[in-house]
Amino acid sequence: MFDPYYLQQLAIGLSLGMTYALMAIGFTLIFGVLNVVNFAHGEVYTLGAFAGLVLISATAPPIVAVILGALAIGALAGFSLERLAFKPFRRFTDEASLKSRAMRESTLLSSLAVSIVVREALEIVFGSQMRSVPFEYLINTPVRVGPVILVTGDFIIFGVAAAMLIGLQFLLTRTRVGLAIRAVSNNPLGAKYVGIDTDRTIITTFVVGSMMGAAAGILMGLYYGAVFPAMGFTPGIKAFVAMVMGGLSSIPGAVICALILGISESMATTFVSSGWSDMVAYGFLILTLIFFPNGLFGARRERV
Amino acid sequence: MTFRLLTLTTLTAAGIATGIATGIAGSAFAADTVKLGYQLPLTGDTAQYGQDFRKAAEIALTEFNAAGKPFKVEIVFEDSRSDAKEGTNIARKFVDDKEIVGVLGDFTSGVSMAAAQVYKDAGMPQLSQTASHPDYTKVSKYQFRNIATQAQEGPYNAKWMATKGFKNVAVIAEQTDWGQSVVSGFSDAVKANGGTVAFSEFFNRGLKDYRSLISKIERAKPDAIYTGFFYEDGAQFLKQLQQLGIKTPVYSTSAAYSPKLIELAGGAAEGVHLTSNFLPTDPSPNVQHFVDEWKKRSEGAVPGQFPAQAYDAVRIMLAAVEKASPNPTREKVRDALAQTKDFPGVTGKTSFSADREAEKELVKVEVKGGAFIPVAD
Repeated sequence: MFDPYYLQQLAIGLSLGMTYALMAIGFTLIFGVLNVVNFAHGEVYTLGAFAGLVLISATAPPIVAVILGALAIGALAGFSLERLAFKPFRRFTDEASLKSRAMRESTLLSSLAVSIVVREALEIVFGSQMRSVPFEYLINTPVRVGPVILVTGDFIIFGVAAAMLIGLQFLLTRTRVGLAIRAVSNNPLGAKYVGIDTDRTIITTFVVGSMMGAAAGILMGLYYGAVFPAMGFTPGIKAFVAMVMGGLSSIPGAVICALILGISESMATTFVSSGWSDMVAYGFLILTLIFFPNGLFGARRERV
Repeated sequence: MTFRLLTLTTLTAAGIATGIATGIAGSAFAADTVKLGYQLPLTGDTAQYGQDFRKAAEIALTEFNAAGKPFKVEIVFEDSRSDAKEGTNIARKFVDDKEIVGVLGDFTSGVSMAAAQVYKDAGMPQLSQTASHPDYTKVSKYQFRNIATQAQEGPYNAKWMATKGFKNVAVIAEQTDWGQSVVSGFSDAVKANGGTVAFSEFFNRGLKDYRSLISKIERAKPDAIYTGFFYEDGAQFLKQLQQLGIKTPVYSTSAAYSPKLIELAGGAAEGVHLTSNFLPTDPSPNVQHFVDEWKKRSEGAVPGQFPAQAYDAVRIMLAAVEKASPNPTREKVRDALAQTKDFPGVTGKTSFSADREAEKELVKVEVKGGAFIPVAD
């Protein structure tokens, strides 16, 4: 009964889920917690991976420096993204505009535009070929744990994702910055009236969230050994599904749902053709939207 | 009565005049430039292939135009994004442009077949460098291809694996029109040779994690795995196969034949067997000329099989246009293409059969010491 095959599939699913979670954390911070519609997170992820790759090919630094470099680019990307695609929509500070849903959701298109421009620009500069990461940097040396085989990267990603999750939970629930983020998310106008610098809070959130996105990008690049301009798309979709399932505003919820997603996909491969395993993610998204419009772990919110 | 007569004469005169004018303009133009269309993915997920095709086409075109022929050729490149909808739109655009006498592309079988419906109705010759789905050339007498089909490659590989003693094989391929032709072409031949297909499954192109699929394949305990993938998916698959410590031999189609496969997969690509019809190491002068030109334009990178096929496809099309000139028409170009015989290309000699299939010679290749090495068996 206890077939090692299923244990191996479970391990693969967990490791897959961790990679989704890594992406979902930063995404949920900006999209869910701050409640800003942002579809450019996948490109921040790609930029992080490219920044790391460029650094590796230029100077061959230690891996920690590579990640720090990617973090710096991520911070810059987050700041620029906010400046380009989000700030212009906040230039009207009257009450009607601040409460307007149209104003808020128009960033759906502006962020999408930025993401397309970034992706095409990367294609022009680097070409659309997959680029290989030098083998000594890869984090996929096999590790045998009992009957299952994992790779070193699985443990690194687990550590990083756990650190991000705990750090963010601390930030959001125990610090004034976190309080400000939640206040702005809940009621931007009210936050402004009580003296919170909403602009600065939003920029901070973008910078932190994008640093996490970029870190996810470079880690995935090192994990799979391939970096290319379109790499952010699929993880972006999976992160989006995990976030919606988790109830938009809950980062732990998104992480748990990312793990559920990963395990379900790898388990589903056993029973249906691998070509259909993406159906699992979309199926979950639809089921969640129908039966749990507030997500599995979400607080009550007017919109999902 | 006089008025009607006058009108009639005027109209006739005007008609003749216009006819002459367009006739002159037409022939004058044809003497200078002939236009061809090339639909290919220049952006999107498969842009890397389209970009390579354009590069190969430009090499062929520059050579042709520099050779002092009585006319010049211009190629109009249109980006199909490997999207069937986009592909048909481009096809309509090419068909409407009366100066275009022939079309190259598209990249994938699916898009090529969608566009083929438009070319079929308009009588436009279409030559794809890569569409290898068996149904593509069956659309109409206007569809040609410069690639071995899976109906040819599948049985070839099945026989190769059978001679190596692999009786019980697994087969996986990407979930596309092409991937399905890989599985069917191969599986039928395996069964005909008395072997068994232990496992057969499709995956989505661009899947990153093959470990679930690999575990599932291994559960079926095949002697060898036959794979229908391109180099990106291939590299991930091979790396993860190595990670999971699996030593089952892997065979693949010519679609995976690209130096990028070895670059991305590194040591994990060792021992992979595949077929090809282009070897950049071939010492013959035309191959070396193409490889040199390619390296000049690609920072020293060596071309894979697909750019070589595109280069040949463009040259076959140019030769057909030359044969159909002066004043080539779509119909004349089609007939000239159909007569192509023993065209000396970099992917071997190409002739079109009565079904407009390219008859290609396949070479067996194994990855050894980080390079593709031709092997006897």
